[in-house]
Amino acid sequence: MSTLAQIPVCVEPVTVSHGEATVGGGIGAILTEIAERLERLARTGEPGAIDLRSLPISPADRAQLLQALGTGEVDARVQANGESRIRETAVHGVWWTQHRDLDGALLASLIEIARIPDILIVGADDLLRGASRLRASLSFPSAAQGESPHGTT
Amino acid sequence: MARLELEPTIGELLDRQGVSRRSFFKYCTAMASLLALPPLAARAMAEQLLAARRPSVIYLSFQECTGCLESLTRSFAPTIENLIFNVVSLDYDDTLMAAAGAQAEQAREQAMRANYGKYLLVVDGAVPTGDGGVYHCAAGRTGLDILATCAKGAAAIVCVGTCASFGGLPSADPNPTDARAISTLVPGKPVVNVSGCPPIPEVIAGTLLQYVTSGRVPDLDEHLRPTVFFGNSIHDRCYRRPFYDQGKFAKTFDDAGARNGWCLYELGCKGPTTYNACATVKWNNAVSFPIQSGHPCLGCAEPDFWDHGSFYSPIPSPRWGKAGEVSPAQAGAIAAGAAVAGAAIGVGSVLLGRRRIARRQQEPKSQSDKGNEE
Amino acid sequence: MDLVDFARGPALKVAFVIFFIGVVWRLVNVLLLHHRRNLSEPRRGVAESVFGGLKAMGSRSWPHPEFIKRTITGEALGYSYHIGLFIVILLFAPHIIFFGSFIGVRWPALPNGVVTIFAVITVTLFVAVLFRRLAHPVLRRLSNFDDFFSWFVVALLLVTGLMATAHVGAPYPTILGLHILSFDLLLIWYPFGKLMHAFYIFPTRAVDGYLLTRKGAPS
Repeated sequence: MSTLAQIPVCVEPVTVSHGEATVGGGIGAILTEIAERLERLARTGEPGAIDLRSLPISPADRAQLLQALGTGEVDARVQANGESRIRETAVHGVWWTQHRDLDGALLASLIEIARIPDILIVGADDLLRGASRLRASLSFPSAAQGESPHGTT
Repeated sequence: MARLELEPTIGELLDRQGVSRRSFFKYCTAMASLLALPPLAARAMAEQLLAARRPSVIYLSFQECTGCLESLTRSFAPTIENLIFNVVSLDYDDTLMAAAGAQAEQAREQAMRANYGKYLLVVDGAVPTGDGGVYHCAAGRTGLDILATCAKGAAAIVCVGTCASFGGLPSADPNPTDARAISTLVPGKPVVNVSGCPPIPEVIAGTLLQYVTSGRVPDLDEHLRPTVFFGNSIHDRCYRRPFYDQGKFAKTFDDAGARNGWCLYELGCKGPTTYNACATVKWNNAVSFPIQSGHPCLGCAEPDFWDHGSFYSPIPSPRWGKAGEVSPAQAGAIAAGAAVAGAAIGVGSVLLGRRRIARRQQEPKSQSDKGNEE
Repeated sequence: MDLVDFARGPALKVAFVIFFIGVVWRLVNVLLLHHRRNLSEPRRGVAESVFGGLKAMGSRSWPHPEFIKRTITGEALGYSYHIGLFIVILLFAPHIIFFGSFIGVRWPALPNGVVTIFAVITVTLFVAVLFRRLAHPVLRRLSNFDDFFSWFVVALLLVTGLMATAHVGAPYPTILGLHILSFDLLLIWYPFGKLMHAFYIFPTRAVDGYLLTRKGAPS
């Protein structure tokens, strides 16, 4: 029997899975899609997003895509059960969002096409909740939890 | 029901637990990414979930190995576990709950009464039906009986794992306990099968999440599995697919092809006939899946996967008898036997024909007068 | 037992046995035909006659110069789809595994894309062949159930195979099951219909050529 070391290996480059592969033609298509989504955002206000993890491109392609988009003016960090980093690219309205968990593992990596990414926006409910919390702490310190009138389950 | 209106929404609950909306939104984005849903689905999912109320869940276990529950609760991503236990109210699970014995059964009955017609029944394991169902008994009742009681008031039934979905290992040939799939035992109830041995935790969570957000049973394939997760075969989403298309195959587990990561089709990979999300969602927080670590897909998410012959026999190989693949010697023997039989029939029919001709020639007024044979 | 397991299991086994019984039966029947003794004086020697027979196997495979204009369409169509069939049947990786498990040897495959292209071309030619059979006044009168059914059996195999590759119509396992079942059907029908020509064609040409040479005629 041959030992493992005796078996010849010549690694075949695969565009889909291995990083050091050639730069595919997919980048152009993705940039075109981003441009189209930007136009749609301007026209209808509809935001868009592209999941970088699910794109069938190599890490090299991904790096090239981000390089092509460049670095913009905003760089926000959100501490919500782990850090999220939201960076505007040089193309206004195109954001690179990375969500990490408490251990720093990457949960999601997205290109967002929006005036401002969803995670930075404060919801209307939260505004009211915040207001009532403030008021409660001002006038009735004992009822600071007042936003929840129900019993526990 | 009045009690239900008092039940807080998931948003209110999370808020009370100090889980910010941003964290929740982040979880949903991560889930959407893991499940390969369009990113904007995360937003819709988060909004719907925050406004929804937690459904009561009764979790029953029958003939199973607890691997499915392990898959869910020991998933690498703690977010999934948190998420799922935040969005459902798990009122009965004899493996996870602190209560035991009569108290546990009481909790189940109470939850069922309070949420009759609305609770979600999650089942793992097949139910043995042989000999009156005596092969599975808990609290003095057979599995058949428990299932029937709990299914009656359920809004829908989610079968977790291949055993509950299709019978799985307990129903493998010769199926001594006459174990059956849940869907065959609960006529008229909407059933969702989340198959796999075990199922991918993200797929279990995603299916439950989908139910909570929409309140409806999702689109299902012909095996009652959610098409979102079971719509594509492993083969179609496999990163080794290009090698299949190029005709580059590993022939053994230690050849150059195997080390180069070529297609495992010839080593018995069941990817083409198996529908699951392993190739996209992957396992252990999207680290890998069997094919990525060099082993063919066993086809564990498909009905009767135990009875399809060897895990290492390729899909196109003929399967004669229980031994699985046919050997050239066996095929040769059968062909030779058939050939001898064919020759015998041939010789026999020729002899019969000749005798018929000879008899016809002996008859004085034969119709065939071109009898110029020697 | 699901469709695939049935098709590649008991159904295949039965078809395999019927195929071998049928083929040998028919070959024996032909070999043991009541031959008349050839009383004519041989014009050529035995060796020359045998060579004439061998030559006929080749020469009959090419259109006769005198009729080439009339027969070229049919011959070209026939040759093309036969070549296509051989490529698709013998050089597609899953087929190699299938046939290989009977004889214990596997051989190199063509890339799937190439095989698919040949399969599409072959199906197209198959449709053309059927149209020609229906449109050609002589061919139509010559055709019987056997012609159409033999065409159907092979066409079914090609179409289900392409459907399995393209994932259309039904989930892959279902189509694969139907594909293997149609192969079982082909095996069963093979000895009893005109598909049997694969076994007859060259021996009959050889016998013809031998007899013609013996008579002193060009084979």
